[in-house]
Amino acid sequence: MKERTITLAAYFLFFAVVFALPFALNSFWTNRIAVYLVYAICAVGISLSWGYAGILSLGQGLFFGIGAYMISMSLTLAMPDNNPVPQFMLLNMEPNAPRDLCCATPGSFLWQPFQYLSIGVLAGILVPCVIAAVLGYVMFKRRTSGVYVSIITLALALIGQMLIINNQPLTGGFNGLADLAPLSVGGIEFDPYGKSVYYLVAAALLVVVLLSRLIVSTRMGHVLKAVREDDARVRYLGYNVENYKLFIYCFSAAIAGIAGLLFAVTSEFASPSLMSTSFSISMVIWAALGGRSSLLGACIGALIVNFIGSVASENVMLQPVWPIVLGLMFVLVVLVMPEGIAGIAKGWIAKLRQPRSLKEVVQ
Amino acid sequence: METFVIGLSIASILFIVALGLAIVYGTMKVINLAHGEMVMIGAYVTVLASKHLGLGIYSCLPLAFLVAALFGLAIERLVVRPLYGRLLDTLLATWGIALILQQLIRIHFGFGLFGIHIDGLGSDLQNVPVPPELQQTLHILGTNIPVYRAFVFGVAVVLGLVSWWLIYKTRFGSQLRAVSAARDITAACGVNDKRINALAFAYGSGLAGVAGVLVSGFMTVSPDMGAPYVIDAFMVVVAGGVGHLLGTVLSAGILGEVQSFVATWSNDVYGRTVLFAFVILILLFKPQGLFVSRNR
Repeated sequence: MKERTITLAAYFLFFAVVFALPFALNSFWTNRIAVYLVYAICAVGISLSWGYAGILSLGQGLFFGIGAYMISMSLTLAMPDNNPVPQFMLLNMEPNAPRDLCCATPGSFLWQPFQYLSIGVLAGILVPCVIAAVLGYVMFKRRTSGVYVSIITLALALIGQMLIINNQPLTGGFNGLADLAPLSVGGIEFDPYGKSVYYLVAAALLVVVLLSRLIVSTRMGHVLKAVREDDARVRYLGYNVENYKLFIYCFSAAIAGIAGLLFAVTSEFASPSLMSTSFSISMVIWAALGGRSSLLGACIGALIVNFIGSVASENVMLQPVWPIVLGLMFVLVVLVMPEGIAGIAKGWIAKLRQPRSLKEVVQ
Repeated sequence: METFVIGLSIASILFIVALGLAIVYGTMKVINLAHGEMVMIGAYVTVLASKHLGLGIYSCLPLAFLVAALFGLAIERLVVRPLYGRLLDTLLATWGIALILQQLIRIHFGFGLFGIHIDGLGSDLQNVPVPPELQQTLHILGTNIPVYRAFVFGVAVVLGLVSWWLIYKTRFGSQLRAVSAARDITAACGVNDKRINALAFAYGSGLAGVAGVLVSGFMTVSPDMGAPYVIDAFMVVVAGGVGHLLGTVLSAGILGEVQSFVATWSNDVYGRTVLFAFVILILLFKPQGLFVSRNR
């Protein structure tokens, strides 16, 4: 068997399991796994920017959070009791302010476009893209790289989180937005605990993975890998390194935005905790555990870490130890298995194939 | 004027934390994301020492330095050294260390699992008693200057001078500077660069520990207090330029004052937002840092 065939088979097997899984699960676990698949989408974005292009963004949570907030604004307004003004805004209104989105609280007019779901969805993808484009332009044109990029993205996410918590009358503050209507498109209502949302997420994951696969298998993917190894050399070869980096960074921001949208649909809330430093960095460890330069590995890493995490947090004995296990995981993955699970699997496959190919050579 | 004094004390803390980070980053190009946890450890050393040993804040300064330096030494040996040259991976691994340290405090070093609770640990907030002579307020030129803030400033000045002496006047310092400028050649000349790495890491961590003692005097102490420091300190290092003691001093001063003034004018969140925008602008127009005029 060729390596390509094995890879294809692995992808096929993974998605076959993903699509078959809801038939074996109750509604609680259908919802949980759907959330993990959302995380897997995020991990694919990180694998693209970090594993392929070497840009370690520690602020993916910002894009994820923005995605979640954008659609949550639309879904909040879709609730009948949040019409014309969301409940939390009523609590923050000046006594004589009109009960209208235009001027209920300072800045509440920003909510007006979100009366249309399509705008919420579009904004959830485009806003992260635009922010990433601006920040990426500044960083990459100035040839900022390595740890600088990581810390700056980290700081940006932190600022985003603080701004959201701080602007309570506009954003719901610390509590976020939790009073959401279920997503309903063209008369089909998506039930977060049913198969409909699950398949929506699974299909999105499939599309994102296929699209990413397409990108990395073109010449662009090779250029990106070369940039990761030595960007100065690629620059001397005449490639515009900055544009490649900018593109992949924006693309991964958009993926995080999409994941955020789906998270809000699946979990029925958006809160500032989605933008927290620790959440952003956890995303990276999902990709690292699964295998940073393997898209499928990143997906599997996200599923494994979150599954174990949620099992551990339900156990009284394990719950206080889990952060330590997670911390150790960071250290050990980086020290012992830098290519993650995918790297180990590749090693095994190579070992299995070696004797046979040697024999073939002898014959 | 009072805002200025508060800004000065913020700047002092920032300076001490950033100095440690800058020394580590300068020599090894490594960002220790557990650097903020060294601040946290320093603060908890103060809490525990005052609760169980009856030690005051003065004797905690060297104690916290020692404890944090030992932690730094251990982290360098166990995690940072095997990852030499893999900077992004070091970032992740030290974040893992940060998670572990925070959780160890929350679960009372693990004794909490067996129902043993140590006074002063756990996930709740802790306070440190400040000696009465530091609680007073001085009236100078019609302004009120809290003595504690002045004390913080004084410690920062002393530490700055000690670090200057250490970096520019001792044998260790010249080796340190040589390693940051050209590691391979320095090693080829017979300097044990691994030893320099370890010492620099320990010294940087120790400084953060001292900052932790100072912070504990005017803020509540909690397991997750450290995380913001590492980011703020990195901003200082970015703004001031790496490998430049004076640059770190000035940029800590500027950033501390900017934060303090914007914070009094509106609130803390906008203070930090402005700070961040400021650093981005510096990066855009002067990527080597504000106070570095030459390129090596």
